[in-house]
Amino acid sequence: MSYESPIRDQLVTGGKTYSDVTRDITRPLENAPSKGWWIGFSLSTIVLAIWIGATTYTVLVGLGAWGLNKTVGWAFDITNFVFWVGIGHAGTLISAVLLLFRQKWRMSINRSAEAMTIFAVICAASFILSHMGRPWVAYWPIPLPNAFGTLWVNFNSPLVWDVFAISTYFSVSLVFWYVGLIPDIATVRDRATTKARKFWYGLFAMGWTGSTRTWHRYEIISLILAGISTPLVLSVHSIVSMDFATSLVPGWHTTIFPPYFVAGAIFSGFGMVLTLLVVAREVMNYKDYITESHLDAMAKVVMVTGTMVGMAYITEFFVAAYSGVEYEQYAFLNRMFGPYWWAYWTMMSCNLLAPQVFWSSKARTNPVVLFIMSIIVNIGMWFERFVIIVTSLHRDFIPANWAMYTPTITEVAILIGSFGLFFFLFFLFIKFLPSINMAEVKSIIPTHAHGEEHHDHGNTHELATEKGVLHGN
Amino acid sequence: MATKETTKQLILGVYDNPDKVYSTTKKLIKSGYKIEDVYSPFAIHGLDRVLGIKRSRLTVAAFLFAMTGLSLAVTFQVYVSYFDWQMNIGGKPSLHIPTYIPITFELSILFTAFGMVTCFFIVNKMFWGKNADIMDPRVTDDLFVIAVDVKASKADMGALNQKLIDGGAIEVRERIKEL
Repeated sequence: MSYESPIRDQLVTGGKTYSDVTRDITRPLENAPSKGWWIGFSLSTIVLAIWIGATTYTVLVGLGAWGLNKTVGWAFDITNFVFWVGIGHAGTLISAVLLLFRQKWRMSINRSAEAMTIFAVICAASFILSHMGRPWVAYWPIPLPNAFGTLWVNFNSPLVWDVFAISTYFSVSLVFWYVGLIPDIATVRDRATTKARKFWYGLFAMGWTGSTRTWHRYEIISLILAGISTPLVLSVHSIVSMDFATSLVPGWHTTIFPPYFVAGAIFSGFGMVLTLLVVAREVMNYKDYITESHLDAMAKVVMVTGTMVGMAYITEFFVAAYSGVEYEQYAFLNRMFGPYWWAYWTMMSCNLLAPQVFWSSKARTNPVVLFIMSIIVNIGMWFERFVIIVTSLHRDFIPANWAMYTPTITEVAILIGSFGLFFFLFFLFIKFLPSINMAEVKSIIPTHAHGEEHHDHGNTHELATEKGVLHGN
Repeated sequence: MATKETTKQLILGVYDNPDKVYSTTKKLIKSGYKIEDVYSPFAIHGLDRVLGIKRSRLTVAAFLFAMTGLSLAVTFQVYVSYFDWQMNIGGKPSLHIPTYIPITFELSILFTAFGMVTCFFIVNKMFWGKNADIMDPRVTDDLFVIAVDVKASKADMGALNQKLIDGGAIEVRERIKEL
């Protein structure tokens, strides 16, 4: 039931009916997986095996397996952690912030973006565990009484805040995702032809009947979940940035970090959403659901946030110059022209310069350009974290302590392997769960596509218009 | 109220268009019929008001859970770092309210989300593995069902059938609902 504005383009193209939506979106779940799915799934399983191998090796050997030294105590591990947490931000942004702003185009992309959030946070958490060196005492950051062998945690420490922020973010995102899935799981349940499908989808559908009373409550909790997830998503990356900003290390000790990290997180998250959706709409034939105007809107977000991040890079320089603190000034000059200059300039060109191509509307709707750009954005944002962490640490106050950092093969394997973990989960998701929110997409399909043979057209349309005015849709 | 009865007789009107469901529901209610519920594959906006469903108090529950999370977080952090075991870390104060804000904020949100969603499941009597009492298997796909409570409406079956069909129903049938 949707009031159609005569001016705007339709959000779902191809004149789909409700049953078309159901059929299109449940197709991958109800049929044997395609060849493409098997290739992708096998590849990601192999890469996942690399991750398992390298992480196991690290746990057995200890952090000596990595290239860290006395000066550079954080490098690939925290770079990868911040990178993955950042990617996780687009999902909640799309489903929560865009829901609050009543951006209906979010409806065909929010499900997969939320799934991406959850899988990205799992990847991020794996780096937190492995960088501890002794993952079997990973419960130490949880506040436990002194009798457990550790002291109470220090609530003044941003690292403790981070534990709460990431775990809250993960659990709330999971709840939000699951609540959104319930009506669609029920759809799959009611269409199920096999016993196994009937059982599993029936189990998780929780007896959903589609009653209006339930829908009424459902809409209310969706709105509140969106309302609380919006500040949550902003708080998570702010707190991650405080891991750095509350220290005294030149290059980290900056007040601009929270907004700058949040913008970067949205930027990289949308980069990853584009990577996945540009491919998914081709492979899974979802072009009528993820239309060119969706790509266009996402590209605009990438351009805006990329430029915001670029402005933050430049602001940092200005503040360092203006502060008159020579350590700060040196840290930033060292980033630009020091031994890691290549990392810095990769970051600048990928994050600030490259997204400017999206001023052209042709670039915003061309899948090839978008795919290449999304990869560039991901590379750029990985390097941003690398630059922030390694270039700030490797030359600090005392020149005698200066050192260089080179990753070992184990660290590189863990980084590559984490993509295997991510895509392994993502391929399972598109096989077993509806990757587009059917219930929401049905609600934005124009109603006059239905039942014309039973009623004259004018009547239904008039009614829709009346309601449109009534409820201000 | 039919509290002691074990079954309820319903007349179901099956529709394929939400606009027709909306207008028919409105007409039926105006004519004094008691509508048990309307089932749809997605939320039909405004229909809850037509059916006279009172605004859910889940919002109040959400607020109360947020306050619970907030006060627990503050109490816990103050207890741990000031009353139970003070630690001198870099000479920073043990009782320092601003540093409690992030965790308090996160826990308020955590409590709100979990508490509210749990309440949502409780009021809808939803739980894992519940056997769904669906009116039509296609109600989660592309059909809409208006269920009229026959007894409470004291309905004349013929007139009711006619009203449902006039509203554009593609099918009208009877259903006995187990209570």
